[in-house]
Amino acid sequence: MRGLAKGLAYTLKNMTKEKVTYNYPDQPLEMPDRFRGIQKFYPEKCIVCNQCVAICPTDCISLTGKAHPDPNKKGKIIETYDINFEICILCDLCTEVCPTEAIIMTNNFELAEFSRDELFKNLEWLDENDTNLRKENKV
Amino acid sequence: MIRTEEMLLNVGPQHPSTHGVFRIVLKIDGEIIKEATPVIGYLHRGTEKIAENLQYTQIIPYTDRMDYLAAMTNNYILCHAVETMMAMEIPERADYLRVIVMELGRIASHLVWFGTYLLDIGAMSPFLYAFREREAIINLLTEISGGRLTFNYMRVGGVKWDAPDGWIDKVREFVPYMREQLAGYHDLVTGNEIFMARIKGVGAYSKEDALSYSLSGANLRCTGVKWDLRKNEPYSIYDRFNFDVPVFHEGDALARYNCRMAEIEEALKIVEQAVEQFPEEGPFMAKVPRIIKPPAGETYVRIESPRGEIGCYIASKGKKEPYRLKFRRPSFYNLQILPKLLEGENISNLIAILGGIDIVLGEVDG
Repeated sequence: MRGLAKGLAYTLKNMTKEKVTYNYPDQPLEMPDRFRGIQKFYPEKCIVCNQCVAICPTDCISLTGKAHPDPNKKGKIIETYDINFEICILCDLCTEVCPTEAIIMTNNFELAEFSRDELFKNLEWLDENDTNLRKENKV
Repeated sequence: MIRTEEMLLNVGPQHPSTHGVFRIVLKIDGEIIKEATPVIGYLHRGTEKIAENLQYTQIIPYTDRMDYLAAMTNNYILCHAVETMMAMEIPERADYLRVIVMELGRIASHLVWFGTYLLDIGAMSPFLYAFREREAIINLLTEISGGRLTFNYMRVGGVKWDAPDGWIDKVREFVPYMREQLAGYHDLVTGNEIFMARIKGVGAYSKEDALSYSLSGANLRCTGVKWDLRKNEPYSIYDRFNFDVPVFHEGDALARYNCRMAEIEEALKIVEQAVEQFPEEGPFMAKVPRIIKPPAGETYVRIESPRGEIGCYIASKGKKEPYRLKFRRPSFYNLQILPKLLEGENISNLIAILGGIDIVLGEVDG
């Protein structure tokens, strides 16, 4: 019986302690800065080097580029940029290799959709995803 | 005249007490288990096969998903294997960061086991307390790595991020807090007469059985074998810390419980010392070539994960992808003793025995 009484004393002691749960989703959940959420993409920064596509472990990124509209300038600009969030594991490797920080992580993580097709996010959607940006992206 | 017959009972694959997708086919005679056949593979993703087509850095996120309760150890085993092949020197600061996060992961993993095991055998509240403390650890690990479970934190040659400002102090403050909570768990559970009566002597096996089934971790140490790779074959910087290897002799579920609870205490000791010795500054990443190409050859390394001995075998042909990669996943080996333990047991002991082994199905199925 002593063990049971001790256990009960512990339970009673915890009743007066501060609550550890919070009222999500009414109260938004703050994540630390390094949190790896849905990517934000800057089309103007992208140099179409294809490194994010090469490093992606699940092959969820696909992109195409086109020649620079200004004929005096070399290089390419981005035409389409898609991430398939059905298979993206938010591993952060694409942002790690990006030389111009054209793709960075945000702290947004809510990605529920009604159909699987909607998880296929294109350049415009990724460009507009510009809230809660991660401040520190390169080590 | 009462007619009796044997019955086949299917437990799982979707059953909360199997801690994942795991199925056991039981042949029962009344309440007594005659034969138990585990069926695994529901979570098989072919990690080792996938890895053959990936660069070493790309494999790290996949290791997160094997033992998802202690992903840091899995990150480490792969990086450790590649570093061993390339004979790479790891900066001291990275080593300390790795040890701190791995030991925090070990505590978190044991807390999940503690909570869910008690939940399995019918006690609700320890689960809530255990998850409260685990959440504190997960918050610490999220702050340093950016992920709650799938950390993807280690890299070949070091770690991805340095500790953020004030993080080490937070870890320092966490250690006494966790000790206090652990004492509370002992008050709540360890001395409880109902709990003792429930698991004492349940699922006992001998030292010889444990060795012949090549069990490892707490499943081995509960039978009196003092074998912990952190002590016996020190890797990383574990030889710098002063800690004990808890050993119990009964080989039953209670001994495994005591062993894991004592391991939390030892892990706290290691974290405490690592935080004290933590170098003020220094690099956290070694000089690593952009494309990692270990020399042709083979290597096998093993370390102590919360569940036992986790090993990684790499066969390299000097390319940027491994030719063959194999993980020795401790949960898979530990699970093999289950049919033997269940034979002749009452069906009400099934969950108490299965839970005591502490398996993670992501690791069993690979």
